[in-house]
Formats: sequence, C-alpha cells, structure tokens
Amino acid sequence: MAKKKNKQIIRPWCWYCEREFEDEKVLMQHQKAKHFKCNLCPRRLNTAGGLAVHIQQVHKLEPENLPRIENALPGRDGYEVEIFGMEGIPAPDVADYKRRKEIELGLNPGTITQPQSKRPKLDNRPLTEDELKAQLEAHKALMGASDGTAAHANPESATGAVFGAPPQAYAAPPVPAPGFVPPSSASPGMPMPPGAPPFIHGAMPGFPGTLPFPPGMPPVHPGAPPPGFPMPPPFAGSPPPGLLPPGVPPGMPPFPPGARPPFPPPPFLPPGISPPPGFTPPPAGMVPPGMSPIPPVPPSASMSPPPGMPGSSPFVSTPSTTAPAASATPSAVPAPPPIAPELTLPDPSLAQTNPPFKKTTSLKWSDPNFSPEERRGTDSKYYFPKEYLSDKRENGQTALAISEESRGKKRARAEDYL
Amino acid sequence: MSFFGNASRSTTVTTTQADKDIEVADPPTDSISSISFSPQADYLAVASWDNNVRIYEVGQNGQTQGKAMYAHQGPVLSLCWNKDGTKVLSGGADNAGRMFDVTTGQSQQVAQHDAPIKCVKWIEAPQGGILATGSWDKTVKYWDLRTPTPVSTVQLPERCYTLDVVYPLMVVGTAERHVQIFTLTNPTTPYKTMMSPLKWQTRVVSCFPAANGFAIGSVEGRVAIQYVDEKDAADNFSFKCHRRDQSPTQKDQSLVFAVNDISFHPVHGTFSTCGSDGTINYWDKDARTRLKSFEPAPGPVPTTCFNRTGTIFAYAVSYDWSKGHSGMTPGHPNKLMLHACKDDEVKRKPGKAR
Repeated sequence: MAKKKNKQIIRPWCWYCEREFEDEKVLMQHQKAKHFKCNLCPRRLNTAGGLAVHIQQVHKLEPENLPRIENALPGRDGYEVEIFGMEGIPAPDVADYKRRKEIELGLNPGTITQPQSKRPKLDNRPLTEDELKAQLEAHKALMGASDGTAAHANPESATGAVFGAPPQAYAAPPVPAPGFVPPSSASPGMPMPPGAPPFIHGAMPGFPGTLPFPPGMPPVHPGAPPPGFPMPPPFAGSPPPGLLPPGVPPGMPPFPPGARPPFPPPPFLPPGISPPPGFTPPPAGMVPPGMSPIPPVPPSASMSPPPGMPGSSPFVSTPSTTAPAASATPSAVPAPPPIAPELTLPDPSLAQTNPPFKKTTSLKWSDPNFSPEERRGTDSKYYFPKEYLSDKRENGQTALAISEESRGKKRARAEDYL
Repeated sequence: MSFFGNASRSTTVTTTQADKDIEVADPPTDSISSISFSPQADYLAVASWDNNVRIYEVGQNGQTQGKAMYAHQGPVLSLCWNKDGTKVLSGGADNAGRMFDVTTGQSQQVAQHDAPIKCVKWIEAPQGGILATGSWDKTVKYWDLRTPTPVSTVQLPERCYTLDVVYPLMVVGTAERHVQIFTLTNPTTPYKTMMSPLKWQTRVVSCFPAANGFAIGSVEGRVAIQYVDEKDAADNFSFKCHRRDQSPTQKDQSLVFAVNDISFHPVHGTFSTCGSDGTINYWDKDARTRLKSFEPAPGPVPTTCFNRTGTIFAYAVSYDWSKGHSGMTPGHPNKLMLHACKDDEVKRKPGKAR
C-alpha cells in the first residue's frame, strides 16, 4: 500500500503546531490537550468545531469573540479548518509539509510527495509568450545593470520580477530600483556605460553620482565622464568645494511642493559647512571618492591611499576609507589609510566572559566585551580616526568653526596647486 | 506558486504572502543601522553605515520617495525625530551629533562626544525638548541644541550600547551588562542601577509605552521583560527567541542569534523583536504569547520601527556584522522593507479568564 510507505517516512504531525508524533493516537491526545482545550473550563474537545460550539453554547461567547486556537502557528489558529488527527489537513499544507520534510531529510524531491506528476507536465509544456517575457524580465533584473538601458526602459517590470523573486534572488547585486535612475538620466548625454559590471553600479555609494541634476543646475562640464566612471575624488585634482561653479542655491528646501527627482542632492554646503566626506557634490559630474577604482593622483603624493589598500577595490572601498583623508587637514605628515587601533577595554581587569551554556550552543555573537558595532567601527572600511577630530576640536566646539577651519586649509592647498 | 520555487517555510500563511511587504526604492548603499518614523507624518529617516541619513516619504499605498539626505563624517549609528517632526537628530562614529532641519534642509552639528555616539533619543519634557546622546565614551549627555556645550553629562559605568526614553523613564544599557534607569525629572543621577537580568551582552533596551518598565534583548537570543517598580517584580520574566536548529533533524535550537531591536506598538503595546537570524516576531508581553512570526528575511534584521499610528512596520534587512568582516559579502542584501500591520497581528488577543 502506498500509504504505508509514506508512513515509514512521515510520522503523524499536528497541523496546528507542526509537531510530529509516534502515532495518530498520541497526536489526537496532543490536539485535545493543546489546541482543543477550552480555556474557560477544563473541558477538552475533539475538534476545533466542537470547541467553537462548546464555547458559544456553554460560555455564551459570540462567534466573533472566540479565542484563537491556542498554541497554533500563526495563521493556523482559526476554526475554519476541521482537523481530527491527520484528517482534514488542507492539501496544500500536506504537500508543503512533505516537501519541507524531504528537504530536511535530504531526500530527493518526490520521494514523499506524490503530486510530483504535476511537475514534468509543467516542464514539458511549451512556455507561453507571456511567461517567456516574464522570465526574460526576471533574468534581466537579476543581471542587474549590465544591461542598464533595458532595465531602465522598463523599470516597473524589472523590479516586479525581483520583487516576487525568492530570497536567493537578493543574493544578486542590488538592482537599481525604478526611482533610482529616473528617466532623465538615460538622456543621450549621459549614457550608462554599457556593459558596466552590475557590481559597480550596485555598489555606488551615495545617490548623488547617479542622480539627474536638479533643475536649475549649470550644465555639466563637457569633459566630465558619465556617472559610474572613475574620476579622482574632489580633493585630488579638482577645485575645492569653495571654487565650484556657482549655481547651487545655498539652501534648497528639501520637501518642496511638486514633483522632484528623489533625493535631490541635499542642499550642499550650507554656509560654512564643508562637504561631508564621501559626499561629492554632483555639479562636477563626479563619483564619490570611494568609487574611483584607480587611486587618485593627488597634488601631493603623500595623501594618496596606497594602491592595493582595501579602498582601491570598488566594493570594499567606501567614502569613509578615503573620506577621512579627504577631510583631513593637510599636514606635513603623510596620512596613511586610517588603521584602527585594536579595541581595548578601558579596564582590562573587568573583562567579561560568557557564562557556560547548559547544552551545546552556538552563540552567533560570542564576544562578551565588544558589540558588533564596535567591531565594525574599527574595520578599515568604517574606521573614523579620532585624530581628525581632535585637532579640529581645539578650534572650537561648533560645527561652524570646525568646517571653516578645514575648508580654509583646503582652499589654501588648492590655491597652492593652481 | 511563484516561478522561482517556493518559500522555505509555510508557517506564514497565504494571507501574509498575498500582500507582500513593500521594498523601499533607493535604499542606502551600505548597511542600515537605525530607522525612525516621524511622530507627525509618515516620513521615515534611515541611518546607514555609508555615513548618510536619508529621509523618505511613505505614501498611502506604501510607495516611497526619497526626500532629503545629509551626511555625517563617519558611519551613522542612531537617529531620532523631535516631537514636532521638523528635525532629525543623528549620532555617528564621527563622535558627532547632527541636527537636520527638514524645513530649511540644513544640517548642523549639535552634539559632541569623545567616542562614537551609539544612541540618540529625543526627550519631550514638559519644560521643552532635550536631546540625549549615549556614547562609547561612557557618558550620556543632554543637549538643548542651542549651545555647543551639553546641559549636563552623566557618567555611566561602561560604554553605552543602547538607550530608550518614554518620558519620564529613560533606560540605558551598557557594556558589561549594566543597566541604569533614570527618572527624567532628575536626569543627572540614576534612579536605579542594576545588572541586566540576562547573562549575556546587552543589545537593546526598549521602554514600555506605559513607562513602567522595559524590555531588554541580549546577544544570546533572549528578551527579558522588566518592570521598574519592585512591586511589579513578580511580572518580570524572560523568554528565548531568535534561535534555530543546528540541522533540520535535530530540534535542539542550538544556533543562537542576537536580538537586534525591540519596537513597541504605539497603540496596542505589543512589541516586535528582530534578530541576526533574519526573523521578526510580534509578542504580547502580558499574555506572554507570540502573535506573529515573519517569514525569515534573506539577511539579518538590524533595526525595526512602527510608524506613529502603528499601521506601518518598517524593518531593514542588512548586514549587522554578526559574522565579523568575513560576513560582509558583496551581494549581501541591503533592503528597507515596509509591512502593513493588520490589526489582528498586533492587537492583544482577548485574554484568558483570570
């Protein structure tokens, strides 16, 4: 009997809580005790329906006030399904349970699941045009920006496909969302480099590089490379922020009425505030420093992050690796890539140890002394050295003083260079 | 059934699969550290390890639009809104606290510590608004935003890991499992100092909306419910969560993940927990039951937030450093999701007859 074969593999299980049992008798006892027990009196019923009737009649509760079935998985705590042992479990749930069971036990699909016969049918059937289209879209979306124009031409469906996709789809590099590249960016003047690895595109730090210019922006320098193209960071060769072509209103209200491209570059450089590192004002059509796959060629060689440092790979690098260097006030000493000191406890004698576990346990964060954020903060990608702050702070507590200071020095240096 | 096969678990039923959570367009380019909804409108502020804070507008049907963005000099670790929703306050690894004015679009530095600022929280006291910042320099400082010096500074026993405020209660969780409870009528001296009821590193504290206690989550997949008043001590308890079996055949729950965030529902007082395992659960602390579990996300969930009415639940899916540097893989998901909260997910179930 086919049924018997199943029973060897799949034990009776409770639909409400997906627990397995030796045999159906135990399962029914379990259901009576755990799920069909009236919580207003000691009575135990045989089925959910019985429990509902009992509560309504004996305890005079309105049907809409019935308590949910206890100890049930979310969504399975209703009275609609009449379960008695293994009887009455909705077919899709049975199939799903079996499939998961197969995966768990490492069996080939189909060993337990009978409705397998459906599958070959699906495979042999020629795909309809619509399905082909949908799959093509999904594929394009997964391929990310490598086919940028196509993906953008139809952003709706592209995201749609990614959206419906199962988790593994997200392992692919992030696909530019529809709003990310508004139509205007596909203008002939600024094509996406075709064939640019989706990787780089996805890893683009900061929106500004890919944003269309806000209305009223001066035209881009004729020679400016398209976004996504390597370009030395601002401090390297380009004029410092102070010398940028005017035209950016000093304080654009961020929530203006009417439609505007998402994330207008924030009102850059409020008077006296230096551009935050990692943020390149788009007027020059530049990529944020972290994007430059080639180490920048700075005016003074001492400032350049050595090639091969983590920052030179487009993904690993972020604004913060190069950024502190960018914002650092030029000093005589070369500024090596910031290397975070080892995390040290303020008082080593107070070092903590994790208490022992009662049973074998794999604790995912087993460092008793430092939090994940502290560890992350000392990673070269994120480390923000204190020295960059300390000398600024001598000049005053307020941001204004700080940034004016650094900006003044930067400008001086740029003038040197010019 | 979807084209790409089926979800790995079926515990969440068709209802949740039917209307899927909405992904926010233009997410930050690096991991998300903190998110917060405006107390006045459906604006969502998002802090990221890419040094930026972004502000999104969330529309009626969950469509989102980027509205503004400003930058710190280092990774941003925490943010909050002020009471009237006109300012976003954030703290970061650049040791600075910044204030962004959404009406003028300007940001300026308003706070300064000697070490990264891990937590910022807005305190709406009857006398006016105050910003509290907690830092790894072992202090909590209060700022009135007009002067470059703090109104006052409180020395903590250890580095501040987490801080939450529901006026007049403020709870600070630090390294080495210290917990300090403040009554903000007297903000400079702790009302009560205690060790965490949990035996592993404190990850997050979150005050009850009734301000009579707090939930505390640790790296060892456990949450404790703790009342401030001694007379309620009998109601204290802790429970395990965010654990997984070593292998599908063993039901040992031996993989233990950190609890990354706890958010209370503003209306029903139920709460969510999220963990490095990528799952989110809703709980009812009074009935001591789980109300809902989400389909596991494809990556850790570092932070969660309800909007002011509790109809939208936002959560981030991004890397939380739980596996150290090696876990930082290029394709790691980095998403911001919006979940439409249905009432029966977050509402307390009619309790048992007591």
